[in-house]
Amino acid sequence: MSRKYLLLILFCGILLAVPSIVRDTFYLRIVTEAFMWIGLAISWDVLAGYTGYLNFGHGIFFGVGAYTTSILMNLCGWSFFMTLPVSALVAAVVAVIAGIPTLRLKGAYFAIATWALARAIQQMVLVASFTGGPDGMRLPPFLHPGFFYYTMLIVVGGVFALNWFLLEKAPFGLKVKAIREDDQSAMSLGLNPTKIKLQAFLLSAVPAGILGAIYAYWITYIDPASVLGDMVTDQAVVMAVFGGLGTLIGPAIGAVIIFLFKTYFWAYLSDYQVLYLIILGGVIAASVVFLPNGLWGTITSYRQSDKALKHEPVSSRSDDKGDPHV
Amino acid sequence: MELLPQALIDGLLIGGIYITIAIGFSLAYGVMHIIDFAVGEWIMLGAFLGYYLNLWSALDPFILLPAVFLAFFLIGYLIQPLVYRVISGKKGNPVLMGLVFTFGLGLMFRGSALTGFGFYSHSIPSAISQNSFFLEMGGMFITIPYVRLAGLLYALAVTMVLHFVLKKTNFGRAVRALSQHREASGLMGINAKRISSYVYGIYVGISAMTGVIIGSIFTINAQMGGEYSILAFFIVVLAGMGYLPGVPWASFLLGLVQSFFLIYLNPSYTLMAVFGILFTILLISPKGLFGRGV
Amino acid sequence: MSEPFLQVNAVTKTFGGLHAVFQVSFQMNAGEIIGLIGPNGAGKTTLFNVISGFYAPNSGKILFKNLDISGKPPYKLARLGIGRTFQVVKPFAGLTVLENVVIASFVKYPQRRKAEKHAWQILEMTGLVDRANVQASSLTLAGRKRLEVSKALALEPTLLLLDEVVAGLNPTEADRTIELILSLRSQGITILIVEHIMRVIMNISDRVVVLNFGQKIAEGSPRDVAKNPEVIQAYLGEAPQ
Repeated sequence: MSRKYLLLILFCGILLAVPSIVRDTFYLRIVTEAFMWIGLAISWDVLAGYTGYLNFGHGIFFGVGAYTTSILMNLCGWSFFMTLPVSALVAAVVAVIAGIPTLRLKGAYFAIATWALARAIQQMVLVASFTGGPDGMRLPPFLHPGFFYYTMLIVVGGVFALNWFLLEKAPFGLKVKAIREDDQSAMSLGLNPTKIKLQAFLLSAVPAGILGAIYAYWITYIDPASVLGDMVTDQAVVMAVFGGLGTLIGPAIGAVIIFLFKTYFWAYLSDYQVLYLIILGGVIAASVVFLPNGLWGTITSYRQSDKALKHEPVSSRSDDKGDPHV
Repeated sequence: MELLPQALIDGLLIGGIYITIAIGFSLAYGVMHIIDFAVGEWIMLGAFLGYYLNLWSALDPFILLPAVFLAFFLIGYLIQPLVYRVISGKKGNPVLMGLVFTFGLGLMFRGSALTGFGFYSHSIPSAISQNSFFLEMGGMFITIPYVRLAGLLYALAVTMVLHFVLKKTNFGRAVRALSQHREASGLMGINAKRISSYVYGIYVGISAMTGVIIGSIFTINAQMGGEYSILAFFIVVLAGMGYLPGVPWASFLLGLVQSFFLIYLNPSYTLMAVFGILFTILLISPKGLFGRGV
Repeated sequence: MSEPFLQVNAVTKTFGGLHAVFQVSFQMNAGEIIGLIGPNGAGKTTLFNVISGFYAPNSGKILFKNLDISGKPPYKLARLGIGRTFQVVKPFAGLTVLENVVIASFVKYPQRRKAEKHAWQILEMTGLVDRANVQASSLTLAGRKRLEVSKALALEPTLLLLDEVVAGLNPTEADRTIELILSLRSQGITILIVEHIMRVIMNISDRVVVLNFGQKIAEGSPRDVAKNPEVIQAYLGEAPQ
């Protein structure tokens, strides 16, 4: 046990020391962005993997956070840190508005509605004037790679720790899983599914909003295509599914692998950027068929079967999920 | 006021096309319980097949429809076992996996199309593309392009044929039995897998044909899929998911909303209006306008 | 006399014009076991779903300890102390047996550690201790039915609705479950039980309510009800003229 803690402390130490070791801004930037994708993949998985609701508009929250910070800094002259809570709040409000009608319904409705909402919000930002429309917004440049490295590290580390505590340690995690497994039964045991799903949605949306806010300040230029386009959602989905839904480690691993691959790919094949879409689509479709538990889920299930503690095969689940009202 | 008849006619003409965007999709949902996130991409791929066939053969797009349908029926028929395997899997949550799988297919299709067909917009010219006829009613003028009228006729024809097949043939009875009682119809000896394959093939085929029609009326490009997916989603939610008789009404309503925004308001707000209606329906009557969705 | 524990007053539930339950009334006193019987499709499960809050009645009222609970959502009723099982068992398949019960324990024990301790006690009582750490999906049917009861019990209910918890079990398992039900009564839990197996109902119920085509056709002690010609007719179909 203590060895585990030692490793954890060592790991944190290395993370803190990265900016002094990695002098090259290019590489520091890559590590920083990798953190961001870890945060996005995990926050997507909070809803998808733990609750069973696929949000095909996760980028909404990232984009809304980015725009809120940009608008407050540009038009109101706020300082960056003052804008963060507002970005989080705006993301939360959007999540509540989108979640209340849809989280009562089956997952298919939620998937459709979030996807449509993403398009509607992108169009809204394109049309509005205070967002700069299709031209986007420019932020006061603040060129300090170390600052963004640490900000991203703290936020993503905090998100990881918070999710780990809430979903793996606290009662909340079990409640969320109960609703994912069978919401009728959960209701008969005193759980209010809509409320818990909404809480999970907030836990998913707010970090994405904060990450978007940091991203905007870091990159200093945002437009609807870059922060509200499909790419943010698409990548987060692929990272989480490929890594393994319903875990925290899985999406993190998926994020690092996919992001590093993309970075490499971009650098060497920048003329064929659309190939990346084919690869993303191929990876996710193949994961569903060949690795339904994702990379991490497959590894852990091998480890478990090595321990040979399992006796029975997993029986069919579909026969338990008959007509809910029978 | 002068534009009102035109707005109505435009809405109905375009609404007709929307029926064929959503009806196969709704049928596939009713039978297989799958939301196909690639629905718009099938439309896009069909449109490009029509475009290239037209370039190569110089045949009118309307004549090419059967060929496009056959080609995509076959593709859908062949892909379906894979989809079936995903959604009837024992691991994970099959319904979610179906969503994710078709989402992945959609990304692959879009990426491939962008790579292969580029970013440019094209149209598929028909012999009747240039002509319109004009009506004058009490001092108000209405323009009806032939090609749009042909599109509406195509949509009505597809709907009628589908209606006939579902109501009158043995295959149709089997499909309806399957969509109503999945387990029971398995017991009655209906080969669920094979019927699902046919249904998926029909859905993909209709979507692809509609792509060609869209190409002869509007323009097509490799990124058009998302826009049409949204429209298909909107219609099936409005109609009630899997409830086919609701599809035409929802489609015409969408067509009217769109033409009114185009003529009276700013078309940039159409998507927001569409989402607003979608959102309201989900809030008030999640089973659709008729309360008959599944 | 004290007020009745549960009052079902003229409850009606219709689906698309058909009466699944029509004008059904009965009362339960604290500590009673009441058997709810009737042929297939008589409306027993629908009535269960109305009492446990899964359906709102179209008309009529349900009073639990004099509190009108008709139409309240199931989770609120669970917190009030109404536990139920499902005829088609609904384990949280991907979670362990212990976790399944812990989730239900949260209502009374919001802290994870205390909930877990409570869940162990419940599993002790229902005889699932040795299966506590296996996945719920790997239980046998008998195990799943026990888990179903365990989850309902973890709410520490005062009213327990049991929907066919014996059907489908072999005689030994059935006897163990009956024993469990009787021991719950001796702890003061009021029980409404739906069961197809007459032997069970007749042995353990204090009173029996009989439904047919959604309406109550008889109520009384098991012995009286078994002699009631209308009940016999309902079970045997058309009686000779």
